[in-house]
Amino acid sequence: MRLPAFTLATVLVALAAIGSTAVQAATAYPLTVQNCGVDVTFDRAPQRAVTIKSTATELLLSLGLSDRIVGVGFQDGPLPDDLAAAGAGLKVLSDKLPSQEVVLEAEPDFIYGGWESNFAADGVGERPTLAALGVGTYVAPAACRSFKPPRLTFEMLFGEIEEMGAIFDVESAAAALVERQKTSLAVLVPDARRLTAVWYSSGTKTPYVSGGTNAPAMIMRALGLDNIFGDIDDGWISASWEAIVDADPDVIVLVDAAWNSAEQKKKLLADNPITSRLDAVVNQRYLIIPFPASEAGVRNVPAAVDMAAQLAALQFPVP
Amino acid sequence: MTPGPAYALAYAGLWLVLIASAILAITFGPAHISASDVWAVVLHHLGWGDSPVSRLRDAIVWELRLPRVLAAIGIGSGLALSGTVMQVLTRNPLADPYLLGLSSGAALGAVIFLLAGAALLMPLGAFVGSLTALALALLIARLLGGATPSRAILAGICIAALASAMTSLLIFWSATGDSYREILSWLMGSLSGTTWADTGLVGLGLVLCAPAILFSGRGLDAFAFGDAAATGLGIDIARLRWTLLAATALLTGVMVAIGGAIGFVGLVVPHAVRLAVGSRHRVLLPMSMLVGGIFMLWTDTAARSLFDPRELPVGIVTALVGAPAFLLILLRYRRVT
Repeated sequence: MRLPAFTLATVLVALAAIGSTAVQAATAYPLTVQNCGVDVTFDRAPQRAVTIKSTATELLLSLGLSDRIVGVGFQDGPLPDDLAAAGAGLKVLSDKLPSQEVVLEAEPDFIYGGWESNFAADGVGERPTLAALGVGTYVAPAACRSFKPPRLTFEMLFGEIEEMGAIFDVESAAAALVERQKTSLAVLVPDARRLTAVWYSSGTKTPYVSGGTNAPAMIMRALGLDNIFGDIDDGWISASWEAIVDADPDVIVLVDAAWNSAEQKKKLLADNPITSRLDAVVNQRYLIIPFPASEAGVRNVPAAVDMAAQLAALQFPVP
Repeated sequence: MTPGPAYALAYAGLWLVLIASAILAITFGPAHISASDVWAVVLHHLGWGDSPVSRLRDAIVWELRLPRVLAAIGIGSGLALSGTVMQVLTRNPLADPYLLGLSSGAALGAVIFLLAGAALLMPLGAFVGSLTALALALLIARLLGGATPSRAILAGICIAALASAMTSLLIFWSATGDSYREILSWLMGSLSGTTWADTGLVGLGLVLCAPAILFSGRGLDAFAFGDAAATGLGIDIARLRWTLLAATALLTGVMVAIGGAIGFVGLVVPHAVRLAVGSRHRVLLPMSMLVGGIFMLWTDTAARSLFDPRELPVGIVTALVGAPAFLLILLRYRRVT
């Protein structure tokens, strides 16, 4: 009697799915959210959104909201493969930070910025000015500078996804995305070799590296890497080469950006008389991450999974 | 007019301070390496004994700290020397090595090379840019009816403003992600990442340009009294002016190429030394060099070690220390005059 048992299981799973969807109530408007020191009220779900920075665009696309995006600006790089189709037709307002007039011309009712500094008079406009025009604004909480955000965790990123789900009244899509990301994280096994690492973003003479509070630090913790600048209470710092050479990290994470590629960084590290002697450089122990995935957002979890595979492939001599 | 024994003593004293400073400064840095180990590493590379530390720590001392300490001394002395000469040549107490558009031209050249994807050739861009700016300023001064100091200064201001605006435009237009950081730290002046090759260039610049300036002490003294007086003393002013201008421009070009536009050293040090020893250039020029070297060495040591493990562009430190020092000097001047 195997068939009925199988059917029963299917029915139960289906019922459970219905149950969990039913739990997520639809958003009751007006909805007020506290975002980076500003109360933003939504009378209805935004219909015409403008996204600034890749992280904002990618989050909305991941929630299936491509038809609500009327313009994007300041994108850091190409969309990841799974979002490329959804984002193919998006209107690019500006390769760099668009000006207020350019943004308003798109007649948005909502602007979602990846950096708080995007909302400046010489950028897309200041938040109170936009509010007076009836345009809702939202700053990625991890990028809030008006109030120092706590050390970033995946939970905080999931909070942003859920909040965006509530604003757009797409709670079930948000819950499903969070669930998928949690599942990916759950199977991510931290490396047990107690390896040290530095996250090298840019700079040649003065390296710009991750401190202890931002997305890179969070990803390194998930990977089981000991960040040599993990004690620093800041997202990014201009570090000295001497401090890096002194720590001689086991692994170097290279950010692959269009303007400063991972290959360029490898060459720089190999050509410099001192960094060329670092263990990680001698043995080519690099992890590579595309720049847009290194900023706090929906790409952090897949990036961590990808980097875990890169890390697992690195060989270390048994001490 | 030979400098007296008191000056000889002060001169020897400054040399001692400079050497002692260098020996002490290499023991400072984010990596914790004991002073005796640091000196042992240096001695090892000079051919005495073995290196007591690991391969990487050895490199920290020999590849990171020592070339940077020596480059700081060289750049400080070069900028102070150029500043002294510019102040006399233009008869303008506000003159510094960058007066005739040199630093703005250098910045523009460096940024163009950086954006063209040749970050490693930035020093070359800076050098070409600074000399181009100077040549343009002098050309304009000539077109205005002869390269007198005031015309040269006005033309220099014009070129500097134009070059700065173009630099800002390029940065604004092209800055992607965090690529502007590289330019910013260079614009503020920074010695991080100095290699032996850089130090060699600084040394070469000094060897090529400094003697011509140092041996012009008597001519510069005469110059300070005005063109007519100098001619009366049998000095070929036009030739002297062009020789000195070429030497300082070349020297400054090299310094800016390696360290970026480090401010205040070339302005403040000559004034401080002039206040102490007077304006006889045979004394003033070498002493300015020594004091400039010592000043730059310590400000750079502060920039690289005070905020461990962070780095600060040294230009911030020289301005933080230099601006109040300049105020003190101005107050002293008021009392003297």
